[in-house]
Amino acid sequence: MNAYLSVFRMRRKMELQYRGAVIGGVICQMFFGLILVSLYRALYAGKPQTTPIEAVVGYVWLQQAFFRMLLASDAELLDKIRTGGIAYDLCRPLNLYGYYYARIMAQKLMGSLLRAAPMLGFACLLPRGMALPPPVSLPAFLVFLVCLALGLLCVCALENITMAFTMRTLDSRGVQAMLNLLMMTFSGNILPLTLFPDSWQKVITALPYAQLLDAPIRIYTGQYALAEAPRVLLVQGIWTLALAGSGVLLWRHNQKRLTVQGG
Amino acid sequence: MAFIETHGLTKTFTVRKKREKGRLLREKTEIRALDALSFSVEKGELVGYIGPNGAGKSTTVKLLSGILTPDGGSALVDGRVPWQERRRHAAHIGVVFGQRSQLWWDVPILDSFSLLRDIYRVPEAAYKRRLDALTSALQLEPFLRTPLRLLSLGQRMRAELCGSLLHGPELLFLDEPTIGLDAVSKLALRDFLKRENAQNGTTVLLTTHDMEDIAALCSRVMVLGHGQKLFDGALNNLLARYDTSREVNVRYDGEIRLPDLPQGCAVAREGADYRISYAPAQVPTAHLLSLLQAAGPIRELTAQPQSIDRLIAAMYREMDL
Amino acid sequence: MDTLKLYFRSMGMLLKSQLQYPASFCMQTFAQLVMEAGEFMAVILVVDRFDRLNQWMAGDLFFFFGIMSVTFYLTEIFGRGITGAFPGMVRSGQLDTLLLRPRGVLTQVLCSAIDPRRISCIAVGTAALVIGSRMAGVRWTAPKALALGEAILLGMLLVLGLFMIEAVFCIYSVKSVELVNAITYGGRSACQYPIDIYPRSLRVLFTVIAPFAMTMHVPAAYILDKPLYGWPAWTAFVCPLAGAAVFAVMYAVFRRAMRHYRSTGS
Repeated sequence: MNAYLSVFRMRRKMELQYRGAVIGGVICQMFFGLILVSLYRALYAGKPQTTPIEAVVGYVWLQQAFFRMLLASDAELLDKIRTGGIAYDLCRPLNLYGYYYARIMAQKLMGSLLRAAPMLGFACLLPRGMALPPPVSLPAFLVFLVCLALGLLCVCALENITMAFTMRTLDSRGVQAMLNLLMMTFSGNILPLTLFPDSWQKVITALPYAQLLDAPIRIYTGQYALAEAPRVLLVQGIWTLALAGSGVLLWRHNQKRLTVQGG
Repeated sequence: MAFIETHGLTKTFTVRKKREKGRLLREKTEIRALDALSFSVEKGELVGYIGPNGAGKSTTVKLLSGILTPDGGSALVDGRVPWQERRRHAAHIGVVFGQRSQLWWDVPILDSFSLLRDIYRVPEAAYKRRLDALTSALQLEPFLRTPLRLLSLGQRMRAELCGSLLHGPELLFLDEPTIGLDAVSKLALRDFLKRENAQNGTTVLLTTHDMEDIAALCSRVMVLGHGQKLFDGALNNLLARYDTSREVNVRYDGEIRLPDLPQGCAVAREGADYRISYAPAQVPTAHLLSLLQAAGPIRELTAQPQSIDRLIAAMYREMDL
Repeated sequence: MDTLKLYFRSMGMLLKSQLQYPASFCMQTFAQLVMEAGEFMAVILVVDRFDRLNQWMAGDLFFFFGIMSVTFYLTEIFGRGITGAFPGMVRSGQLDTLLLRPRGVLTQVLCSAIDPRRISCIAVGTAALVIGSRMAGVRWTAPKALALGEAILLGMLLVLGLFMIEAVFCIYSVKSVELVNAITYGGRSACQYPIDIYPRSLRVLFTVIAPFAMTMHVPAAYILDKPLYGWPAWTAFVCPLAGAAVFAVMYAVFRRAMRHYRSTGS
């Protein structure tokens, strides 16, 4: 257990060391948020939708704030896999799946905690219409937090599978780009999932990508009513278990046929 | 007017320290890389430039090649101020950084050379002549069509040297050119430099930690420490000053008792071997030898000069570097 | 002329060396294609839901997307030395090597990197331009073609100039890549859509400070026969000069900064 905790501590130290980069990143992210909010407001001015504009604005800010949860490929770990440095990890008395899961989670959690707070603070201070609207209700907010935590568990399981696949291919950049695009598109980062064609909604909200951020955000903004919460959480839970399960199997298989790259 | 002349050359770097806890701003410290450095070099000289890490050797090379601008002092190279006329200056100098490549990694070195020809605007005829001469002197013909990345370190260094001499510079800066090379490559490189200096009158300023480079090549040595010039003159003079102790190894036939040796001698015994170090200035060698001979039948006796590396280490210690 | 020749020879050589690893090259080119196609799809989905953006119809929006994409990625291909490789050059000391040669620094920086993978992004951008102009029913005339060419060319200078901010920070060893990204990549994201939909502050930013609107939107609107703010036709040819102006200013700043360059290592 201690090993896992120290992974988190290391990560926090690292994030704090690059404070400058974090601050720059946050400002950049805020700027992107402003642009997107302005864009959707202009679009809404022309043709209002069933989803209220406040929900879309909230969606944008929460996406920007928790951006780190989605895309934060662990460059160091990928490098390790490419160069064969992973052999060291294999020598450690650790469960490989658990170790990498902790590593990925540390990166995503520490990365987003550090960034989300100032971002959301800033987003609340903006003038009406641009600002992050408050959650629809207090219970909804509490469910949102639970949902977000489940989303984190889910995205870590998902990324761990990507890692396992990376280990099998030498040059995985093409596959990785493909997976990244799927992630960015279907988690609602490029365009809020609520603005995708209505006929797609059933399918895209059932995908694992929608469980990461889209589901919690919809609870926050009231797109999912509280009554729907149990169903949403259930879908999230099922995906998390399924992804984690297949991840464990994949790593077990990997470890067996391991041919460490680079001798 | 000498070929290279510097007066009071000074360069300071500000280094930001890591921020301490509870402090809002990081502290800055100033590091004086060069402190009023003055020297001159005549055309055609081969000068060795030594000093411990961080003494300011590379900074000097960077100033004289126009990469950096000094904070104070002046320098003239062949009548040019390097940092003011960087481009014109660059056409007349060649620089080799031992740990850095100026050739293109993935393409045959011949392609790199021809691009360098374009960069330096070398006329075709001159380029041909120069390339032929350099490739045969550096034995590069077999690799001309090989990408740089497939060459060994020694071959790569030769290619780098060829690249920086293509435009026929009058002045060559070498920054640790023999670092990491095997013995054969080192010897070949030294031979080449000697010939280049003799035949074309190229002035060479050589930075190195390898004292054998200096001994083999340079008639003159400058020692730098803490940004200041500590010594400037012939290598022999430098060595004479620090070459104060000698070592003699003796092995006798059978057990003997070593007589008491005069003051200034130190004896170490390893089995049948005695290692005696002494200062020739205090104890004349002839005297010591007669004492040793009187002690018993000598089977083997070797006398060793101190290695240059040790001398330099002693010198750095004494100069508190 | 001599400099241009050197540039194209260098580019040829770099291309040759990149193609030494064809599998990796194809993989990455494909990856780029996927990314840019995703960006384009987002615009298509927006159009699908909202039909229009103020007076701009689907074809217009695709055209705006296309002109930005082509300009931005052409710069990334040919200006890689500034848009991506520069920090590495400073860190590794390669910049020192460049300073030892009798050529301008910027010329050599531009000569030392190329990013041909982006060719697939340009394919997407070109497709958007063609589809957009078809849908918008653009009747191509010589002045319109000229306006497009000018917009792309001067737009490239603009993008290059903006990336030079990062280079200047780098020379002073200030780490602020993310902050500069707000202007460069942020500008690209924002100005994929016509400028007049944004609130005043953003409009000022992208018209005056990082004049994407001047170099690309004014001519694009002219080509689409929907002049921006009702400005007369000649503005489509004059406004893009703002891009060249930004480049000129940044070039001067860059040269100044190089004087403070302090090199790395011992």
